[in-house]
Amino acid sequence: MSYFWYQLRRSPLMLLGLLILLAVGLAVGLAGWVAPYDPEQINLVQRLAAPSAQHWFGTDEVGRDIFSRVLYGGQQSIGVGLFVAGCASVVGAIVGCFSGILGGRIDGLIMRTMDVVLSVPSLVLIMALAAALGPSLFNAMLAITLVRIPFYVRLARGQTLSIREMAYVQAAWTFGAGRRHVVRWHVVRNAASPIVVQATLDVGGAILMAAALGFIGLGAQQPTAEWGAMVATGRNFLLDQWWYTVTPGCAILVTALACNLVGDGVRDLLDPKSRVK
Amino acid sequence: MNGSWLPVVGRRLISLVWVVVGVSLITFIISHLVPGDPARLVAGDRATPEIVAHIRSQLGLDLPLPQQYLHYMGQLLHGDLGTSIRTHRPVLQDIAAFFPATLELALVALILATVLGIPLGVLSAVYRNRLTDHLARTLAVAGISTPAFWLGLGLIVIFYGNLGWLPGGGRIDQGMAPPPGVTGLYLIDAALAGDWPVWRSALQHMLLPAITLGFVHLGVVARQVRSSMLEQLNEDYVRTARAYGLSPWVVVLRHALPNALIPSVTVLGLALGDLLYGAVLTETVFGWPGMGAYVVDSIQALDFPAVMGFAVVVSFAYVVLNLLVDLLYRRLDPRIRGIG
Amino acid sequence: MQFMIQTGARRAVMAAVMGLGALALAGGAAAATPADTLVIGKPADPQTLDPAITIDNNDWTVTYPAYQRLMRYKQVDGKGSTEVEGDLAASWTTSPDNLVWTFTLNAGQQFADGTAVDAQAVKQSFERLLAKKQGPSEAFPADMKIDAVDAKTVRFTLKKPFAPFLYTLANNGASIVNPKAMQRPDADAWLSGHTAGSGPYQLVSWQKGQALTLERNPHYAGSKKPVLDKFVVKIVPESSARRLQLQKGDLDVAEELPVDQLQALKKDKAVHVAEFPSLRVTYLYLNNAKGPLRSADLRHAVVDSLDYKGIVDGIMMGQAKQMRGPIPEGMWGYDADLPQPKQDVAAAKALVSKAGGVKSPLLLRYSTQDPAWEPIALTVQANLTAAGIPVKLEKLANATLRENLGQGNFDISIGNWSPDFADPYMFTSYWFDSDKKGLAGNRSFYSNPQVDGWLREAATLSDQSKRIALYKQVQEQVVKDAAYAYLYQKNYQAGLGANVQGFVFNPMLERVFNVADMKK
Repeated sequence: MSYFWYQLRRSPLMLLGLLILLAVGLAVGLAGWVAPYDPEQINLVQRLAAPSAQHWFGTDEVGRDIFSRVLYGGQQSIGVGLFVAGCASVVGAIVGCFSGILGGRIDGLIMRTMDVVLSVPSLVLIMALAAALGPSLFNAMLAITLVRIPFYVRLARGQTLSIREMAYVQAAWTFGAGRRHVVRWHVVRNAASPIVVQATLDVGGAILMAAALGFIGLGAQQPTAEWGAMVATGRNFLLDQWWYTVTPGCAILVTALACNLVGDGVRDLLDPKSRVK
Repeated sequence: MNGSWLPVVGRRLISLVWVVVGVSLITFIISHLVPGDPARLVAGDRATPEIVAHIRSQLGLDLPLPQQYLHYMGQLLHGDLGTSIRTHRPVLQDIAAFFPATLELALVALILATVLGIPLGVLSAVYRNRLTDHLARTLAVAGISTPAFWLGLGLIVIFYGNLGWLPGGGRIDQGMAPPPGVTGLYLIDAALAGDWPVWRSALQHMLLPAITLGFVHLGVVARQVRSSMLEQLNEDYVRTARAYGLSPWVVVLRHALPNALIPSVTVLGLALGDLLYGAVLTETVFGWPGMGAYVVDSIQALDFPAVMGFAVVVSFAYVVLNLLVDLLYRRLDPRIRGIG
Repeated sequence: MQFMIQTGARRAVMAAVMGLGALALAGGAAAATPADTLVIGKPADPQTLDPAITIDNNDWTVTYPAYQRLMRYKQVDGKGSTEVEGDLAASWTTSPDNLVWTFTLNAGQQFADGTAVDAQAVKQSFERLLAKKQGPSEAFPADMKIDAVDAKTVRFTLKKPFAPFLYTLANNGASIVNPKAMQRPDADAWLSGHTAGSGPYQLVSWQKGQALTLERNPHYAGSKKPVLDKFVVKIVPESSARRLQLQKGDLDVAEELPVDQLQALKKDKAVHVAEFPSLRVTYLYLNNAKGPLRSADLRHAVVDSLDYKGIVDGIMMGQAKQMRGPIPEGMWGYDADLPQPKQDVAAAKALVSKAGGVKSPLLLRYSTQDPAWEPIALTVQANLTAAGIPVKLEKLANATLRENLGQGNFDISIGNWSPDFADPYMFTSYWFDSDKKGLAGNRSFYSNPQVDGWLREAATLSDQSKRIALYKQVQEQVVKDAAYAYLYQKNYQAGLGANVQGFVFNPMLERVFNVADMKK
């Protein structure tokens, strides 16, 4: 633990990222208490109002308070990021590890399939999937997760293959350890670190992807607030009511930035190669 | 170079076939899952059911699905990607019309990202954990974290709306004829034709979208270069070179950097692929007549042949590109080259 | 500072980048539009220019000025009228039973390549239209016969009288196409990307996704020759960019700008916002056949709970007029005696309890085809919830929405409608005839045999006063049945450069600009 604090102090960027995430996380998580208005409350008289003491980020085209919507929208957007990174990494890691351990034809088949999925332009695949499943935030999450899994499968498999050959694993085999035991105790723990790093970085990426889908209209549905969808609607008002697009866009930027900073920091922590000799 | 690259190419070509089949199958299934009737969209709302049925049979949409797929694959073998439901033109023709624009944008964005990203990565590695590093890394990460469409809109408002320095969309000035199409890339074609006003106009129009697209990849490139450089700087030969009294920057630039760049080549291959379809959102914002806008419109119009054609072409290009990058990597990396 | 240490190579690169930048920025942004060209900015590329295929007003911007038709819309007092006069046709007669229409063509009309416009051309154009059986053919009776009696005379024989027939001949679908183009082996593909008409302009180039250029047709035989030599349609998908280009003079006309942006433009001296009342209406479909809205009381509750004023003033910023009934003001047959719907939440609540309450939320499906639909959906949800009717919103892709509408999988939806020809038939038979249930027009799946009878009778009569009486009955009945909730008819607005003159809007031809009459 104290090693962790030591590393943290040496890496101000990661500290910055963590602080930002903490602030954002608290604001968003406690949106119910922090937000001044109901994010879905319409007020046609007050539409497109400029930022003021009453409405810190102004109001949108039906008079809803943008600050409240940004806070609640964070729940959607960050939720997507966590879900995607978590699910894709866990599922992908499991599949990849087993593929590496089992080897042979099953391994070949799995990798072939992963290659094909990786070759399809992912944005097109995600858009088509989300359109086919029906536009909703959940389906968008599902689509992004499915498309990210192959990365983890490949990563985990690569790690498994190299670890499998290592001496201590061979030793465990000769001692008669079962496959599942080997996987759980040896392979997974050692393969974990690059996967964890990738997953942390993916949180930011997933937030951006969800925002892109929201931008096209395939993400969260009205009246639910979501950052990407807000940027999309706001661009019609960009020239006169710039705050409408800029505020959720900044939220996306700041959150993804923080996630990436933390991810980089985690990578530096776990990756022995980047430590100075 | 020994002939050991043949099996590599051979294997890749086989996987290419797999990929094309897989991609077309996946997009076929997905596009037919999307609820909606393209025949109805073409006919318009007020058309009678007879008209809709007539259009549907004209488009071959009333055949059973497996038959439609086999028919499509058969045509694919002849290089025919079908006819777009929306524009009534061969899909291949549509894609050929739009692809060069996206390719040009992606290339320029990649060049910008590389030219700016490499120095950024180098500075970051050399001044590791000092202020320069922190600033450079923040910039790189900011690039990766920015939604491209948001940045693009902002740039248009500032550089066109407020300052009037750069045009607000399109590829060249309205009224100018595009250069004779040799490659479809205006910057190259105009230079070949010696048409400098068009060249300048194309460059002006290119800047903002390329900066938007490139800013994101600046981060990716800088990160990759930084991490490769750090690896190299930890190597023994660097310490040896310094011990011999070589100036630090010479060591960095002349010795470490080229070695660091080799693994980065593979990232470039991936980046180009990313850029190609990442252009989707950027193109809509800038009115850039490329594949991005085309594919978004096609998805919305349920234009199956167009969407499938796009997926097949881009996947094909992606695999070929990665193959070329791999070959290049093998050429460059003396360890692989030598052993074979 | 360590930043200062740079090798020669790096300095060279920096210099090159700066030089390139300077080169690029020198000369500033593009110049304003040339004086003899009208530049129109659109959000999307036309899909196809084939008059027998295109049903999209977006395509008509290019095709309408490039082709001519037998009839054209009149201009009365500088305003577009829904009445028609002859364009290619000099005169016409009808047989007493209204089944045979005979047209005599004007002399000396030529297509852009010099070929004469004769009766054969008219016959072939219509036969192709009917044979193609695509969207535009729907406005015409499928069993119509066309004969070229001689070079200048065309005869149309209908099986049943069709009152609006003369008006349909001014449609984009009724464009007369050069037979030489129709006879090409690749006619379909060619016509989708080129024009072959006799109108004042002809297409000379189309850079996909960028711009279409049309130039003056030297063989145009109309009495008034166009002032402007060229007109260019430029594709600018982003609405903010379109507006900026208009303000900077890079566009002369900017189409499809959101209402809020147009309001802001009114303050800019370099631009003027043209506004005209139009016949494009926005209304709510209420599913009369499936679900809770089968109950007429509940439908009335919906109609009573809507905040019409908020929608017109807030969302449309006053650029719309509330409707009273299905036929909008400006179309003959409009009934000014119908009561104006008003928001009355108490009455709505009473009706809801009378209907027995609402057990599960109503499904409101919409798409963002029209940017106003989403705020309307949100407002409808808020209004209905306040009256005790919970509503669930579902935004769908346009194609999916249409599928659902066609099958009646919705409770409420939002729609726009504009007439293809200037006849109340467009707002009545399409919306209420039980034959046209579904996407064809009757999207509320309304069915009333008495109304059907009135509508079909009115379609065959030629006596306008009798028809007005029948349509009055129809309107009263459907308002009593609350088949739809009528919201507003929108003003048509476009942004024009301050120096652009001569634009006359015709409510039948949205997004078509009378370029031949315009000048700068």
